Amino acid sequence: MSIVTTEALTKIYKMGDTTINAVDGLDLSIDKGEFLSIMGPSGSGKTTLLHLLGCLDVPTAGKVNIDGVETGDLSGAALASIRREKVGFIFQEYNLLPVLSAVENVELPLRYLKVKPAERRRRALEALEKVGLSDRARNRPSQLSGGEAQRVAIARALVTEPALVLADEPTGELDTTNTVRIMDLVRDLNRDFQQTFAIVTHDPMVAERTRRIISIRDGKIESDKAVA
Amino acid sequence: MTFIFRNMWRRKGRTFLTIFGIVVGIFALTVLGGMTARMDQQVKGMKGFITGKISVAPEDSGAHVRMRGGGSSYMDLSTARAIEKIPGVQTASGMVMVQLKSAEGLSAPQMLVGYEPPADGGMFKDIKMSQGRELKAGDTDKAVVGSVLATQERSKVGGPITLKGKTYEVAGIMDATLGPTDAWAFVPYQDGLNTFLAANPFIKDVQLVQSITVLPKPGADIEALAGTIQKDIPGVKTTSPVQAEKQISQMTTIFSAIILGIAFIALFVGGLSVINTMIMSVSERRREIGLKKAIGATTSTILREYLGEAAMIGLFAGAVGMLAGLLAISALNRATHANNVVIFAVTSTVILGPVIFATILASLAGLFPALRAARLNPVDALKEE
Repeated sequence: MSIVTTEALTKIYKMGDTTINAVDGLDLSIDKGEFLSIMGPSGSGKTTLLHLLGCLDVPTAGKVNIDGVETGDLSGAALASIRREKVGFIFQEYNLLPVLSAVENVELPLRYLKVKPAERRRRALEALEKVGLSDRARNRPSQLSGGEAQRVAIARALVTEPALVLADEPTGELDTTNTVRIMDLVRDLNRDFQQTFAIVTHDPMVAERTRRIISIRDGKIESDKAVA
Repeated sequence: MTFIFRNMWRRKGRTFLTIFGIVVGIFALTVLGGMTARMDQQVKGMKGFITGKISVAPEDSGAHVRMRGGGSSYMDLSTARAIEKIPGVQTASGMVMVQLKSAEGLSAPQMLVGYEPPADGGMFKDIKMSQGRELKAGDTDKAVVGSVLATQERSKVGGPITLKGKTYEVAGIMDATLGPTDAWAFVPYQDGLNTFLAANPFIKDVQLVQSITVLPKPGADIEALAGTIQKDIPGVKTTSPVQAEKQISQMTTIFSAIILGIAFIALFVGGLSVINTMIMSVSERRREIGLKKAIGATTSTILREYLGEAAMIGLFAGAVGMLAGLLAISALNRATHANNVVIFAVTSTVILGPVIFATILASLAGLFPALRAARLNPVDALKEE
């Protein structure tokens, strides 16, 4: 069953007289429980594709369907609601709020979903437990290592149990040991909870740990293959 | 709320300076507000004394009966009798005043007022007696005392009070009006005149009055009656209740102008520093705003968050400025209390006004930066370094 489908998805940027087809008529389908990576060189359009899939950006043409919802004609508020309910994001630089503790950072998406405080805290602690950071719940981001901070960000992406988790270079700031740890964690979460992950990366080591690699060049799919 | 408080204190120095700027303005606003509130009380108290009465004073030149002493003009008691003959006049009471103690601060001077009590009383229509009664025609050696003077002299109805060397029996004590009459004592005209003449030995005339208070008959048009007296009695100047109120309210105009001026400065300085602080905050937190939008915060959520932060700065600064103002007011009032002088009044407007003003001011100043934050495109904001 498809969680995400795109049809002739196109994003064109105009910079002065230059037109850039960041995503160029792309057709894609991601099934529930998939664990895939989107690879490509810098400027290939992989991050733009991620933003379009996550309703952070709107396409110039074409369609995106997330968990049965056509996102093409939705208002800004409706797109925010899709992001709240159906998508989880993991960023390269973690993007944790420095004034909040780890558990408060994880609670943040639940706040926007208007979940009651006690329930929020319970679910946030549960998510932290999944990523093995229960003992660091009260720490501020400045008191966490890079690997720990990224695990908090993963817990934040999972806490709403979204249909799709999108990760943009999630190991870009980490050393090899932590990269392996994070990828193992994400793979376990995919396996244990059937959580769908789409990971944008330019690191072959990361891509090889997923089960499907989509290569993109000039906004088009160059190859789409399963990993043995 | 968690965000608002923690974000406020991320740049402690900057937030402190912004708050300090507003605190100074609000402090000044509170202190001056306290002063104005006291002025208002005085004016309201005075209004109680002038309502329903026409005040007649000698004109500067060509008075019907005039003597000069100490630079002041006087009338003769016969003028009061002449006024009483005018249709519509119930009674005209001649008055003479002697200062008991000079004014201190914004308080009125203590005065001894000699007047002719109307046969059925009714001179202090809007001022109630807390104890005892008003003076009546024929009373001698009796006094009606204002609340402040009564407290100061520990007066009791039926007990004695000594004013300018003469002892009177206290017939009544008036309710507090917070106006100048609280520090006055009212005695029969002849007693007042004797005291006045003793204090002004160079005046030899006997039946002089400084002013005449005219009470109209029930149903008479008081404004028209004031005009008739002015026209029929040469050498006098009448002040109707409407004119008197106008004169009194002019007194408060200058204070209101000062308050408005301070409010404007607070608005300008405080508003600009809040705008500056909030623009800086938004610029520094563009990435965070992008993140919040990415995980589902709506435009209105971000708007509320930043507006809340600006309002909180205003509320906090307003509360601190107001409390500092109240401390200053209380210290100054305590310092002058020994002399029975009250310079500042604390009313709900003095307490709540500056805090509400500061909160609204900061919210308005924060509106533009908050809108800027709320309208950020999440993709652009996330790209920020």
